[in-house]
Amino acid sequence: MSTAGFDELIHAPTRLEIVSLLAAAQWADFKYIRDELGLSDSALSKQLSTLESAGYVEIRKSFVGKRPRTSASLSKAGRQAFEQHVAALQAIVARSQQPIPTGSDAEADRGILSR
Amino acid sequence: MANTQQSQPAGSGPTGANAAAELAEIQRRQEDVIKTALVRPWYWWVIAAALVAIGAARDSHDAVVLAITIPLVVLVVAALISTTIPGVRRRVKVRDAAQRSGPASVALMGLIVLVTAVTLATAIILTDDRVPHPLTISYAAGGVILVIGGPLLNRYLHSLMLSNARQHMTGAPEARSSQWQGLLHSDPAGRAPDHARSTNGGVRS
Repeated sequence: MSTAGFDELIHAPTRLEIVSLLAAAQWADFKYIRDELGLSDSALSKQLSTLESAGYVEIRKSFVGKRPRTSASLSKAGRQAFEQHVAALQAIVARSQQPIPTGSDAEADRGILSR
Repeated sequence: MANTQQSQPAGSGPTGANAAAELAEIQRRQEDVIKTALVRPWYWWVIAAALVAIGAARDSHDAVVLAITIPLVVLVVAALISTTIPGVRRRVKVRDAAQRSGPASVALMGLIVLVTAVTLATAIILTDDRVPHPLTISYAAGGVILVIGGPLLNRYLHSLMLSNARQHMTGAPEARSSQWQGLLHSDPAGRAPDHARSTNGGVRS
């Protein structure tokens, strides 16, 4: 089981969509991600660069015939961070479903969020 | 690697509702990827129609009709396969594609065997009974199995792939699956509410 760890970089809406999509794939074509998420080339490029700088995404550039092709995949670190982020979200939801939060719950929440 | 994990003060993270919405969004995106990797429902109808066309052409006992129909059907099916399946694979590769796993292969083979068996059995019975147009009817019977079984196979592959995706995320498939279901019941539409999407930096363009 993954350790819970809320990740502010992944939490951002567009990056969450990108990482979620890549988590289900071994790799995805740049155009596929762009079309699925309804982003512009530049917006997607910017987000992928951010994720790549953090070591979460690997970008591969290749040629199919004479056409350049860019694909992206989650790195091992990115996948791990995503799993931990999901675990943190699940923990937050589980705690919110408990009727009365106690002092120890609040401490535990603080622990998840401050990882 | 940059350290990007949360270091903000306690209490400023997402609420339970926001976290549930975020989990729903994650699942929706994963389902989108999985759907892309599966053939569309109309694919099975085209294949079934091709089967019926072959049966009808053979029943016509007309060499010209056969000479036109068979290559035409082969062309249509080849075009369908070459434009749909490799097209999908050029765009995205689903992680641990269920097509390669044992249960999925068995299900696919089962559908092929069932269609072939129904078509052959019907053709033999109808031909023995001297029913008119036996091949058209038998191929149509196979087509019906394909039209019913194809979408069922799609649904099975979809659930298998989704289960794999959840398993990768949490490690314990059953526990996680029920966990996800429980969480997602709070947001049946599967969409993140607006308030959950606008709390953190607004990077969406």
